[in-house]
Amino acid sequence: MTRMKGRVLVVDDDTALAEMIGIVLRSEGFEPVFCEDGDEALGVFRQTQPDLVLLDLMLPGRDGNEVCRQIRAESGVPIVMLTAKSDTVDVVLGLESGADDYISKPFKPKELVARVRARLRRSDEPAPEHLTIGDVTIDVPGHRVQRAGRPISLTPLEFDLLVALARKPWQVFTREVLLEKVWGYRHAADTRLVNVHVQRLRSKIENDPEQPEIVVTVRGVGYKAGVTTA
Amino acid sequence: MGRRWRLLRGRAARAVRSWLHLWRSSLQVRVITSTLAIGLVALLLVGAYVGERMRDGLFEARLQQVLEESARSTQQAQDTFDSSTATTGVEVQRLLRDVAAAQRTGGVGEREVFLLRAPGQTSPLSVAAAASNAALVDLVSPELRAATADGGQRWQSVALPVGADDGTPDGSDDAATVVPAVVVGQDVNVPVVGTYQLFFLYSLQSEQDRLDFLQRTLAAAGAALVVLLGTMTWVVTRQVVHPVRRAAQVAERLAGGDLSERMTVHGQDEMATLARSFNEMAAGLQEQIHRMEELSALQRRFVSDVSHELRTPLTTIRMAGEVIHAARQDFDPAVRRSAELLATQLDRFEDLLAELLEISRFDAGAAVLDAESRDLRDVVVRVVDQATPLAERRGSWLQVVVPDEPPVADIDPRRVERILRNLIVNAVEHAEGTPVEVTVGADAQAVAVTVRDHGVGMTADEAARVFDRFWRADPARARTTGGTGLGLAISLEDAHLHGGWLQAWGRPGRGACFRLTLPRRAGIRLTASPLPLVPDEPEPSTDAVPVTVARPRTDPAALPDLAGAHEPGVHEPGEDEPAPGGEQKATDVGADEAARDGGSARPARGGVAADERRPSSAADGRPRSDGAADAERQGVR
Repeated sequence: MTRMKGRVLVVDDDTALAEMIGIVLRSEGFEPVFCEDGDEALGVFRQTQPDLVLLDLMLPGRDGNEVCRQIRAESGVPIVMLTAKSDTVDVVLGLESGADDYISKPFKPKELVARVRARLRRSDEPAPEHLTIGDVTIDVPGHRVQRAGRPISLTPLEFDLLVALARKPWQVFTREVLLEKVWGYRHAADTRLVNVHVQRLRSKIENDPEQPEIVVTVRGVGYKAGVTTA
Repeated sequence: MGRRWRLLRGRAARAVRSWLHLWRSSLQVRVITSTLAIGLVALLLVGAYVGERMRDGLFEARLQQVLEESARSTQQAQDTFDSSTATTGVEVQRLLRDVAAAQRTGGVGEREVFLLRAPGQTSPLSVAAAASNAALVDLVSPELRAATADGGQRWQSVALPVGADDGTPDGSDDAATVVPAVVVGQDVNVPVVGTYQLFFLYSLQSEQDRLDFLQRTLAAAGAALVVLLGTMTWVVTRQVVHPVRRAAQVAERLAGGDLSERMTVHGQDEMATLARSFNEMAAGLQEQIHRMEELSALQRRFVSDVSHELRTPLTTIRMAGEVIHAARQDFDPAVRRSAELLATQLDRFEDLLAELLEISRFDAGAAVLDAESRDLRDVVVRVVDQATPLAERRGSWLQVVVPDEPPVADIDPRRVERILRNLIVNAVEHAEGTPVEVTVGADAQAVAVTVRDHGVGMTADEAARVFDRFWRADPARARTTGGTGLGLAISLEDAHLHGGWLQAWGRPGRGACFRLTLPRRAGIRLTASPLPLVPDEPEPSTDAVPVTVARPRTDPAALPDLAGAHEPGVHEPGEDEPAPGGEQKATDVGADEAARDGGSARPARGGVAADERRPSSAADGRPRSDGAADAERQGVR
């Protein structure tokens, strides 16, 4: 493999910013690939098979959310949004269309690199480990999740979130702790990240996402794994 | 008994009160009541007069008739006596009885006849009086008899017991029902026995019936008139009052924000003129407000767009700056220093832009509370942990007092953290090496945090202005320390978004105290804070000035003006609870409730708080005590 630390697809119409991001990524040993147009993004993605996508939300052609949905439809590759509008619905919309994380402009190079690293970091695979929450079984090294024998496809981030909860089913995780464990934030950040991804995770693994049994909300504290019965 | 009386009195008092209320609140009730009262009095007077006249007229006519008839009959009886040949008592007795019987039916209608011996008659022979109805003889009063004895025809009104007039004596309940009657008397000369008095008793029953009928008719007509009057008044006042009421309703709805509300215009009368003028006013108002809203929205969008548009190039510049900064060791000193300046000023620029955006979000009403149930102690401890390195550098130490009971409240932790960070960093910056006390308190309604320092303090005026945007007491000093001048303004908005208070107190030389009070749940309106704002210290605190700055969030006119749009409400010296601000708070709380409803803890689509994450602190490990808050207080001193 000639790949260094990983290939990063930068989808951004602002060429100056894209070039600058390229410079920073390259200096950190990543291999940047560029795309300036929302309509072409999916094609470039298929062609280059990146390990991570940096996606600007405001794009000519298809907008970032649409591109995000398209990529997510065929791949669980980490997607980090770049957004100038960190307020209100935009971020949540982006997260709901499948992005794993976001960085709001203006950001520092260190921050960008930290976010990219956090998403590319795959924990050193431990000894074969099987976890269960309720009737959900998780094959940690195999990255497989089944519910009642039916395989469920999760993105790496959702998988990490589920594993973090399942490893300590007796513990209630605050959103901040989950941000640190799953997203790699060292300081309290936007807890909406956790909220949105818990919803997404629930929509995949819960029988009734309105009344979750696997990922349970502990009011005023955070989340925990549901009771493992039987 | 006493209880019943009290009960009754209470009920009466309530009735009177409700009536008074109705009287005061309804023009219609007042007009109708007055009209009816006046009409009723007038009708009663007229009715009484007419009734009197009718009675008198009927009576006079009947009396005339009775007098003429009785005079005629008396003459007839006298003739009979004169032509009589009776000589003995028995004959006279029979004669009297015959005359009485004959005279009874001799008139036009039925009448009773009495032949009584005249008083003072001294004839030696006497016979019994004759009467057609002996039971009624008592009706002939001694006064009448005496008057009749003086000669001529005399009459008197009497009350005739009913039941007696048909001939059946009934003395037991003569008072029960009586009809008016007239007794007419005149002397007659009876042979042998001398002067007797002949009395006729005429019942006025038929006249009374007629009078009753007339009076009933009159009363019915009167009642009909009253009803008619009431109805007329009701209709008339309705015609006047109804449009006024409509106008009031429409005005109320207009005031409530429904600017498209209009009155309906009928015809050409005064009310139509009122409606037309009213509608013109409403249209003018609507247009004006619409224009202002448009202007305000335009300005807000402009600020927001500018901020957003600046972000992408700023990102590039910032990254380039960082790259240059990282490589500064390779440059000669001048370029190296330039790179450092570039980096620090970029930080400042970024902070300013971020806070400008945050403020514009508040102004646009786009800030939403992302509330969840949290223990305030955790938030305080986290912020204090972050501020500790700064405090160490400044030579102060942070002292935290928390209650044993968990001060749990529905708060937006991100915003509360931002407020506390601003306050604590602020206090550390101005403590000048003295300890900074952070106290957490709670009661049933609210949770509170006070941040107290013992630095140079500030004057009451400064405390009043400390939350103003870009406000600095000493601009020169603030410029050198950087900061945006928006930190405390944003904190205040954050507090308001919770429906809470953020207040400042300060005295030169005694330090300053900031107090954050938040309601435990949405919908609680704060009336008091669990913690005192003015420190409980030996020095007199009479000139302490707690300050609440409240700005109606719905006022679009206040939006474009970034600098100093607030009206600081200054409290009574020494007063702890912010009464003056309380009124303004009320409107704030309302807006905040709506905001809180929109932003539940769940990340529902569209209902999530605006977020200005500061990932810089996450990446470089720097405590998130940015210089913004520092500048606020720097400026104050």
